[in-house]
Parts: sequence; C-alpha cells; structure tokens
Amino acid sequence: MTLGWQVVSLMFLGLCIATLVSSLEFPLSDPLGPGPGFFPFWLSLAGGGLALLLLARATRAGVPARAGETLLPDRAGARRVASVLVSLVGVAVLLTPLGFRLTALVFISALLIALGARTWWIIAAFALAGSFGVFHVFSDWLEVPLPTGVLGI
Amino acid sequence: MESFHFLLAGFGAALSLQNLAFALAGCVLGTLIGVLPGLGPAAGTAILIPVTFTLDPTAAIIMLCAIYYGAMYGGTITSVLINVPGEAASVVTCLDGYQMAKQGRGGTALGIAAIGSFIGGIAATLALTAVALPLARLALRFGPPEFFALMLVGLCLVTGLAGRSLLAALLMTVVGLLLSMVGIDPVRGAPRFTFGIADLYDGVGFIPVVMGLFGVGEILLTAEAPHRQVIETKLRQLLPSREEWKRSMGAIGRGTALGFFLGLIPGVGAIIPTFMAYILEKRLSEHPERFGHGAIEGVAAPETANNAYANASMVPLLALGIPSSPTIAVLMGAFIMNGLTPGPFLFQERPDLVWAVIASFFIGNVILLVLNLPLVGLWASLLRVPSQYLCVGTLLFCIIGAYSLKQSVFDVGLMIGFGLVGYVLRKLDFPLAPAVLALILGPFMERSLRTSLEMSSGDFTIFVTRPICLALLVIAAAILASSALRLAPAPLRDAESS
Repeated sequence: MTLGWQVVSLMFLGLCIATLVSSLEFPLSDPLGPGPGFFPFWLSLAGGGLALLLLARATRAGVPARAGETLLPDRAGARRVASVLVSLVGVAVLLTPLGFRLTALVFISALLIALGARTWWIIAAFALAGSFGVFHVFSDWLEVPLPTGVLGI
Repeated sequence: MESFHFLLAGFGAALSLQNLAFALAGCVLGTLIGVLPGLGPAAGTAILIPVTFTLDPTAAIIMLCAIYYGAMYGGTITSVLINVPGEAASVVTCLDGYQMAKQGRGGTALGIAAIGSFIGGIAATLALTAVALPLARLALRFGPPEFFALMLVGLCLVTGLAGRSLLAALLMTVVGLLLSMVGIDPVRGAPRFTFGIADLYDGVGFIPVVMGLFGVGEILLTAEAPHRQVIETKLRQLLPSREEWKRSMGAIGRGTALGFFLGLIPGVGAIIPTFMAYILEKRLSEHPERFGHGAIEGVAAPETANNAYANASMVPLLALGIPSSPTIAVLMGAFIMNGLTPGPFLFQERPDLVWAVIASFFIGNVILLVLNLPLVGLWASLLRVPSQYLCVGTLLFCIIGAYSLKQSVFDVGLMIGFGLVGYVLRKLDFPLAPAVLALILGPFMERSLRTSLEMSSGDFTIFVTRPICLALLVIAAAILASSALRLAPAPLRDAESS
C-alpha cells in the first residue's frame, strides 16, 4: 500500500510540475486583473506542495493496508481486469471504422467469454441484443446518433 | 404560501402524461441502477443522460432526478440481500439489514426501508418547497466573492470528510480543479492546456470522467473479484409487526430531520446522514447491543435519512447552483447541457421548470413506494443475473454515454483512461468525490475569483470586507481545521473512506 501511495504521489507531483510550467505560458495578470495563468499557476504550486507532503508522509510513516485490502489482484483477477481494459481499447479503435453494431457484437461476445460465460446461445442472444438491438433503440427511437462505420452497418 | 402556489402550478406540468411516464421510467431505471452492484447513482445517472437528449428540458430533468432518487432507494436491496451496498449511502444498511435477511426477515427490512424512504422523501420535499424560494432570493444578493466563498465551503466539506487522509483529499481537489482549467479560459477566451488537441477545446468532458472514475473503475473492481452470494429469504412478510412499527416510527422521524438538514449543507455527501442516523439511534436505544444483529431501527433510520437527504440535497443545487455530491454534480451537468444554469436565477427565468421538477419529487416518491413494496421480489431476482453479463451491459452503456454526448471517440478514450485511474485510486483508497466536484465547480470558482479581483482591482481584501463572504470563509477554514485535527467522528471518516 505504501509503494502505491508513493507512486501516485510522484505521478501527481509530475502532473503539477507540468501544469505549473504550462501555466507560465499565460499571463498571471493583465490590465483587467488576474490573467488566464493566475488560477492554474497557484493551483499547480499548491498541488505540487501537497503531493510532496503526501510522498514524505507515506515514506516516513507508511500506509498500512486495512483488513481485506490488497493492491495487486491475483492472477485470475488480473486477467479479468486486463480483458476488460483490452476490450475497451478495442472498442475505441474499432468504433469509427466498423461502426457501433459490429464493434459491440465483437466486444460483447469476446468480453463475455473472457469473463467466464460459457453458454453459447445466451452469449449470442446477449451480443445481438446489445449490438443491433441497442443500436435500434438509441438510433431509431431515442434519435441518439451512433457510428455506422465504413460499411454503413 | 407563495411557494405552495407555484408548487400547485408545478403539479399541473408534472402530472402531464408525458412527464408522468418519464418519472416512472426514471424511477424504474434508477431502482435498477441501485439494485445492480457495480453501478452507483453518479455513473448510472451519467450513463442515462443520452436517453434524455431528445426530450424537452422539463421531462429530461424530471427523468434524471427520478433516476437519482430511484438509485438511492435501489441500493438498499443489495445491502439487505447480499451484504453489498448498491451505492455508498447504503453501506450502513448492511449492518442490520443483512442480519435481518439471515434471520428470515429480509422482506420486513426492505418494507420498512421503502416506507421510511417514502416518509423521509415526502417530508423533505415539503421542506424543500418551503425553503428553496426564500434561499434563492437570498442568494440573489450574493456577488462573485460570496459565490466563490460558498463554493469553497462546499469543496472544503467534501474534502474534510473524505477518506483516510486529508492531504490526499486536498490533492484530489486540486487535481479536479486543474482538470477543469483545460479548455477555453472562461474569462478571456484563450485556450489553455489543450496541447493542440481540438477535442480538448471544450474542456475535459465531465460525463466521460464520471463514467470512467465511477462506472468503468467500479466494473474493473467487480471484474477482479466477482463473487457474491444472494441470501435466499422469504420476501412475503413486507410490513413490520406492531412492535417493529413502534421501534421504527421514532427512528423514521429522526432520520427525516437529520437527512433533511444535512442535505441542505453543500458538500456533506450521502454517507454522512445515514451513518449519523444510525449512530443516533444506537445511542438513544435502551438496548444498543441489538444493533448489528438485526435491529429494525438500524435499517429504518439510515434509509429514511438517505432519502430525506437525496431530496433535500436538491436545495443547494436549485437555489444556489452548488452540487453537494458527485451525483448531484451529474444532474447539474444535465441542467447545463439543457441550456439551464441551476441557481437563484433559474427560479426567475424558468419557474415553470423548477416547480414541475419539485412537484415531480412528490410523484416520484409515490411511484417508488408502489414500485418497491409489491415488486421487491422482482428486483431481488435481478441479483441472480451472473456478474459478467451485468459488467458487459454496464460497459456498453458507458461507451454509448461517453460517445454520444459529442459523437466523439476521443471521449470514449478519455473514459477508459479515467476508468483505469479510478480503479487504481479506489484500490489505494484515494477519495474521488472531491476531484469530481472540483471538476464541475472549477470554472465557476475561477470566474467568481477573477471577477471578484477585477471588481477590487486585484485587492484580495474584498473577500474579508464583505460580511457574508468573510463568514463563509471562516466556516471553510473551520471545516478544514477540524478535519486536520481529526474532530470528525471516526465512524464517519471510516464510512466516507469505505
């Protein structure tokens, strides 16, 4: 748990340094009063200080894990988490070229199998309802535009 | 009395067939969101915003509000039957609700929760009707310095009561504020922190962030450890016995008062009222040893406080334009998307909408009671749906929600990124609520701060020379100081972090 807090504190420190440097590109004040750089500059400074304090406290005193708290999942858990993330990234990549229906069909089937579903007809029915059915509801009934892809599907 | 005249007119609009249908749909969807573990009210409400895109603003807001309080009730069912709160405010209900279910009294636990929620919700909405308009008129006298100080109080409350470390909560607030700086500068119109990415000119989308942090993050946690066990309990005996009624009525009354008053304070969050109601009942009980072993007051009080809070927390949003929790912040986002700015001016500009929405709270509470007493068995049966189907279905709606707002795949990517961040931060017990509230309040805070300093030609004493502003700043400082000195009761801090 302590290592996790240290890493996150360092990442936030990096973020605050980056925004601090970027905020200097904007004027801190102008003739009308505070400029566009004013709020981000002071926020970044405060955030960097807080991240440093948090890092120092986590390093000096440690962050004990509570009962049942574990930072890293077991192998099966990690595999399931990775499956969800990979399939979501797949959706982001395929949504524009393939369109919503085909992307959702592949996403639902693949992720259900990866998460342990085994009854093929339920998977197929769920995937069809979640892709073509949901598209129909959102596009035709609710008039929420969803992508159709290069194939127009 | 004036408020009640407006309310009558609001009922005229809220009782139209269309608005009734959307209130019913919202209650059903909200209960569903609350029932399904792994989808809290914030993400659930955000996911369903696209469903309201084509509705007129009144119907859209009525439906989204119904989703919100429906979800607040639905979380009870999972707390009682599987010892997993459907949303954070139902954590305390697990303590006695689950024990009641194990003793074969699950039906009674759900019954008293529905009745308490109904009483708490109706009483809080009546009080909201009386309080909202005078408060909005008072807020019309506020200038930018007072609004800045008020938002600071809200952020300090969320920060001060969040999680195991004040430093971490403060840092999350700053990160949320920094994220809100991305996009066009609200005062001068210059693009900031956009790195040449056109999608960032409108800023970091609030909906993808909420869906990522609360929706995808929660699904990743569920996917990691998906096991749960449903208690097989008879749900026929829904109404409490005479003895149980006697024990519950006082708890319901106190829960209503507590939930309402805490709901008025911006930033308190839904967990605090439920825990305080539970602690109060335990302190007042002649047999406190029964608590944790199936005491009906341990379900009645927090569930009543929960719903009274849910309705009362609309007061700061409607009257002041300040969201008190991430879910209310999502609702605020929905108002803005519909071209409405919550706050005192809304009562002047769109009284028809405001009072129709308030009237719909009464209708929604009746719908929820009707839905939840006879249909509780149906909701409970949903818990037997295998978790992988729930995960995939939820993710699908997250994708649609993130994409459809601006038809942007970039927002889907943003949601995935924030999902991973949310997963890691929740594992490390970093509080997310301060970041989310800061993200939505950031532009308003910056505009108020800079306009105040323009008014005073850069002189910061403007914040201490105006009495209301000074009082609010003192309150904000006191909240942070008390939190730094760990003056908040330990059970409340633990509850927030859980």
